[in-house]
Amino acid sequence: MSTPATTSNPRGKIGALLFRHEMILLLVLVAEWFYFNSVGRRFGSLDNTFDLMRHSAEIGLLALVMTPIILTGGIDLSVGSLLGLCAILFGKLWRDAGMSLPLAAVCTLLIGALAGGLNALLIARLRLPALIVTLGTYSLFRGLAEAITRGVDTFTNFPTSFLALGQGHTAGLPTQVWFFLAVAVAIWLLVHQTTFGRSLRAIGFAPEGARFAGLPVERRIAQAYILTGVVAALAAIIYTARLGQAKADAGTGYELLAITAVVLGGTSIFGGIGSVHGTLLGVAAIAVLNNGLVHARQPREMAGMLTGALLLAALSASALPKLLAKFRPPRQSASPSS
Amino acid sequence: MQKYSRELSVAIVLALLLLVLAVTAPAFYEPQPLLSRLAREAPTLIVACGIALVMIARQIDISIGSVFALCGVCAGLLAGEHWPLVPVFAATVLIGAALGAINGALVAGLQLPSIVVTLATMVILKEGLRWKQQGAFINLPDAWQWFGLSQRGGQFALIICAMVLLIALAWATKHLAGGRFLYAVGSNAEAARLAGLRPRWVTLVVFVFMGVLTGCAAFLNVVQSPQVDPKSGTGLELKAIAAAVVGGVAVSGGRGNLWGVFVGVLLLACINPALTYLHVEAYWEKAIQGAIILLAVIFDGLRSRKPTT
Amino acid sequence: MAPLLQLNQVTKSFGAVRALRGVSFALHPGEVHALLGENGAGKSTLIKVITGAHAPDDGEIQIGGETVAHLTPAKARTLGIACIYQQPALFPDLSVAENIALRLEKASPAHGVRWAERQARAKELLHRIGAEIDPAGEVRTLSMPEQQLVEIACALGAGARIVIMDEPTASLTQKEQYLLFAVVRDLRADGVGVIYISHRLEEIFALADRVTVLRDGESVGTNPVDEINEAALIKMMVGREVTAIYPPAESRPGDSVLTLKSVGCAGSGVHGIDLKLHAGEIVGMAGLVGAGRTELAQILFGLTPADAGEIQLSGKAVQIDDPRTAVAHGIAYVPEDRRRHGVILEMPIAANVTMAIHQQIFPGTWLRSTAERKLTLDFIRDLGVKAAGPQAPGGSLSGGNQQKIALARWLATKPRVLILDEPTQGVDVGAKSEIYKIIRRLAAEGLAVLMISSDLPEVIGMSDRIVVMRGGTIVGEFPRGADAHEVMAAALGQKQKEAA
Repeated sequence: MSTPATTSNPRGKIGALLFRHEMILLLVLVAEWFYFNSVGRRFGSLDNTFDLMRHSAEIGLLALVMTPIILTGGIDLSVGSLLGLCAILFGKLWRDAGMSLPLAAVCTLLIGALAGGLNALLIARLRLPALIVTLGTYSLFRGLAEAITRGVDTFTNFPTSFLALGQGHTAGLPTQVWFFLAVAVAIWLLVHQTTFGRSLRAIGFAPEGARFAGLPVERRIAQAYILTGVVAALAAIIYTARLGQAKADAGTGYELLAITAVVLGGTSIFGGIGSVHGTLLGVAAIAVLNNGLVHARQPREMAGMLTGALLLAALSASALPKLLAKFRPPRQSASPSS
Repeated sequence: MQKYSRELSVAIVLALLLLVLAVTAPAFYEPQPLLSRLAREAPTLIVACGIALVMIARQIDISIGSVFALCGVCAGLLAGEHWPLVPVFAATVLIGAALGAINGALVAGLQLPSIVVTLATMVILKEGLRWKQQGAFINLPDAWQWFGLSQRGGQFALIICAMVLLIALAWATKHLAGGRFLYAVGSNAEAARLAGLRPRWVTLVVFVFMGVLTGCAAFLNVVQSPQVDPKSGTGLELKAIAAAVVGGVAVSGGRGNLWGVFVGVLLLACINPALTYLHVEAYWEKAIQGAIILLAVIFDGLRSRKPTT
Repeated sequence: MAPLLQLNQVTKSFGAVRALRGVSFALHPGEVHALLGENGAGKSTLIKVITGAHAPDDGEIQIGGETVAHLTPAKARTLGIACIYQQPALFPDLSVAENIALRLEKASPAHGVRWAERQARAKELLHRIGAEIDPAGEVRTLSMPEQQLVEIACALGAGARIVIMDEPTASLTQKEQYLLFAVVRDLRADGVGVIYISHRLEEIFALADRVTVLRDGESVGTNPVDEINEAALIKMMVGREVTAIYPPAESRPGDSVLTLKSVGCAGSGVHGIDLKLHAGEIVGMAGLVGAGRTELAQILFGLTPADAGEIQLSGKAVQIDDPRTAVAHGIAYVPEDRRRHGVILEMPIAANVTMAIHQQIFPGTWLRSTAERKLTLDFIRDLGVKAAGPQAPGGSLSGGNQQKIALARWLATKPRVLILDEPTQGVDVGAKSEIYKIIRRLAAEGLAVLMISSDLPEVIGMSDRIVVMRGGTIVGEFPRGADAHEVMAAALGQKQKEAA
C-alpha cells in the first residue's frame, strides 16, 4: 500500500514542532536577557529580577489559569474585570464589613469562585459561546466594581503585615512569587499529568467526541472557569497588597495580556494543543521585555508594540506548517488501508 | 414575520424603554440634548455595522478601537497641516482601509484566528499611538467643528451620514450578491469554496471594509469637538460587538442583519441617559450593559435550542 | 460518440504517496458509471481531479473532447461538472432557495439579487426531483437526507453534463433512495453522464451501466455491469478472494443481560421498546434511516435519557441519565460517526483507547503512561490494528483501523452490553471481514451485542436474532438467517402483521 514515509509519524512531527515553538521562545527569552543585560546596567541584578517577578505575578497567575480554558477551545475575557471586582470587594469586606483580613481573603476567593461559576453556568451548562458570555461578564464585573465604589472609592491603609504579601520577601523570594510558583506547579500537574488535563484537550479537539467517550464535558469546562475565578481572586488580593490600594479599575486590560502570554506560549486558540510551560515562557518573555525596555531607556510603549509584534510573529510561524501541509496528501488517501 | 422575530423582540424592548422614559422623564425627549446624543452615537453605529459584517463573515475584530483612535489622530494632524476637509476625509478612510487590510491579510492569507491577530494589532496600534501622542490632544482649526456648519446643522448632517451608510449597507447585505457572499462564507466557508466563491477574498474584503467604516466613523467623531482625543476609541470594540450581539448577530457567523444592529446601538445608547433620568447612578451603566449582553446571548441560546427538543 | 469526460494516464502524488498512478477513465453521455474501490484506493483523489480541486501531476483531462489544461473548481463548474458530496456542503443559516442560487449564479459581487427568481427556481427544481421542501426554509432545519436532496437539486439546476455522486444513498431513507434512483435514471435519459460512487454493490448492479474498480491508485478494470458479478467485483477490489466474509456463528445465547420494557423518549421520537439482549448473542437491528435506531442506542447510552418505561440490567432496574452511568453499568456504545464521535483524530491512539476508563487505569487521576502503553499495545495486537505505534494520532489511521480503535476504547471498559452503530460504514471490504470476526469473537466471550446496521446482508450474515425498527419502535423480529426480503418488508412497513 502507500509508503509509510509521510504517514509514519505525524505525532512526532507535531511533538517536535511544539518543542521547537517552546525552544524558539526560550531562545527569544535568552536573547532578550542578554541584550537588556548589556544595555541596562541594573537589569541583571537580583533586585531587578525580583522586581520583575513581583510585577508579573498577577498577569502570570491569570495566564496560567487561562491555559486550561483555551485548551478546551474557550476563552475568558472577564478575568481582568473580575480581578478589579474582587479587589474592591476584598477592600469592602475588610474596611466596611469589618472582617479580619484572612476572613476577607477567604470570602474574596469564594466570590471569585461564584463569579467563575456564573461564566461556567452560561458556557458549560447553557452552551453559550464563551467569547460573548465573557464579554458580557467583562462588562458586568467591571460595572459592578464601578457601581459599588461609585467610581471613586479607593481602599487604602492596609496593615503592613498584609502589604508584606505584595511588597516583602519570604525565604529569599518576593512573597507573591511563592504563590505564583505554587499555582504554576499545581496547574502544570493538572494539565500535563492528570486525566483532567487529558479531558480538557479532548474537549478542545472534539467536544462531541469527548461526550461520546463518556467524559464529563460539562463538569470539566465548568471546573476550568471556576478555577479561573478563584485564581483571579487570588491575583486581586496580591495586586492589592502590592499596590497597597484597591480601586475599581484594577486589572484593566490584564485579560488581553494573559491571553497574549498563553498564545505566545504556543497554545492554540482553537483548543487541544498547548502547554503550561509554554505559557510560563510567554509570561516571562513579556515580563522581561517590559522591564528590560525600561532599563534600556526605551519608551514604555515599546514593550506593548514589541509584544504585539512577537505575538504576530509566533502566530505566523505556527501557521507555516499548516500552509506547508497543503502540499501533503489529505489524510484519507494517504493513510494505509487495511 | 418569524424571520425577523429576533430583531423585533429587541425593538420591542427598546420601545418599552422609550415608553417608560416618555412617561417618567419627558425631559429625555427635549430636541437639543436628544440630537446631541444621537450625533454622538453616529460613529458607534457605523463601527457597529462594520463589526456586524465581520461577525456575519464569522470573524471578529477587536482592533477597531485602536484603529478608530489612530484614524482620528491622523485626521487631526492632517487638519493641523491645513488640509481641507475632503482630502482629510479621504486620507482617514484610506488609513483605516490600510489597517483593515493588514488584519485581513494576516487572517485570510495566513489563516490565523482573527481574535488573536486583531488582539495583536490592537496592542501594537494602541501603544504606538500612545508613544507618538503621549495622550496629548490635538487642536483642530476653527472651521472644522460641525463641518463649519451650525452645531444643529452639523449634528443633523452627521446623523444623516450615518443613516445613509446604514441604509446602504443594510440594502447591500440583502440585495447585492457581494453582501450575500458574507453570509455564505460565514455560514460555511468550505461550502462557499465549493460553490466557487473565494472565502479568503471575502474575508480580506470584509476586514478592509471594517477599516473603511472605522475611518469614516473616526472622521465623524473628530468633527464633533474642537479637539481630537487620542484615547477616543477606548472600549469602542466592545461597545460595537455588544450592540451587534444584542441586535441578533451571531458570533458563529452567517446570521444577523443590520437593522437589528441599529436597534442594538440605540438600546445600549439609551441606558446611560435612562439611568440619569430615572435617577439611578450612572456608574451602573457598564454593569447593565453587561447584563443586557448576557440576556441577549441567553435568549439566543434558548431560542436555537427549541427546534431540537 | 465522443466521451463527455476522458482522463488519460492521470497521475497525482502527495509527497511520497502516489495517490493516482496513470489512471484512465472515460464517461459517455447517458451513462451511469460506477466507481468502486476500497478506502484509500484513490477514488476521492480522482473525484477531486475531475472537479478541479486537485491539479494532476501528469496526464490529460479531456472534457467534451477538448483538452483542459488548468482545471479549477470554478472552471469545472462552467464546463458542466457537478459533484454531490457525501456530507452536503450547504449553508445552514441560509434559505434553501439561496443555497441553490449560490451554487448556480455566477454573479459578480456588485450584482443585484433577484429573490423572487431564486425562489421560483428553487421551487421548480425541488418539484422536479419530487422533494417536498420549502424553498424559504433555512437549511439548518432540514434533515440530512433532505439536505442531500437540495444538493441534487443544485446539480440538476446547474444543467450539469457530468454529475458525480459520492455515496449519495449513505443517509437516505428507502423512499428517498428510490426517488434518487429515478432522478439518476432521468439524468441518464437526458444524456447526462453520472459518476456514481457507492460501497453498496446491489446499488451498482441496479443502477450502473459500467463499473470501474480502483485499487492502490490504479484502475484495475472497467466492465459493463451485465458482464460481471458481485464476487468478481469484490475480487477486483481487494485483489484476493474473500470467500466467507461473515464468520460462522458459534456462540450460544446465555442469560438475559439487558431488558427493555416499553422504553421511550419523547424528545427523540422513540416509544414502546420491548427488547431483551442475552449474553453471547448478536442482535442485529435493521430499519431505515430515521427509524429511531441510533436514537434508541443513544437512550441506552444515556445521551438522551429515556423518559418512559424501564431499563433492566441483569434483572435490576437502572436509571441511565448520562454516558458515565451507562459506562458504569457496563454499557458501551460505538457511535455511527466515527470521525466526529468515535475517535478523536488529533489525539494519540493510546489516549483514545483509555478515554473511557480514566478512573480505572489512572487511579487518583494521575496519568500513568506505562499502563496505558501496555493496554494499547495489547489492543493493537489483539484487534490487528495497523498503526505506527500507540502514540500515532487517530487521524493517521484508515477508516477500518479507526473503527478498531473506537471498539478498543469500549472493550477496555469491559462492558456487558456492546452497542455498535453502523460498525462497518465506510470501511473497506478487507477490514469489514476482520471487524466481523472480532464482533463474533466478543459474542463468543459472552458479550451481549446490539448491532445497528443499514447494510442488510451484514445484519443477516452476522445476527443471531434480527429486530426491525420503524417509526421509533420495534415492528418485527426474525431468527438467524431470515429472508432479506421479509426483513426489508418489515422495515418498509409493508407487512403490518409483523408488528404484532
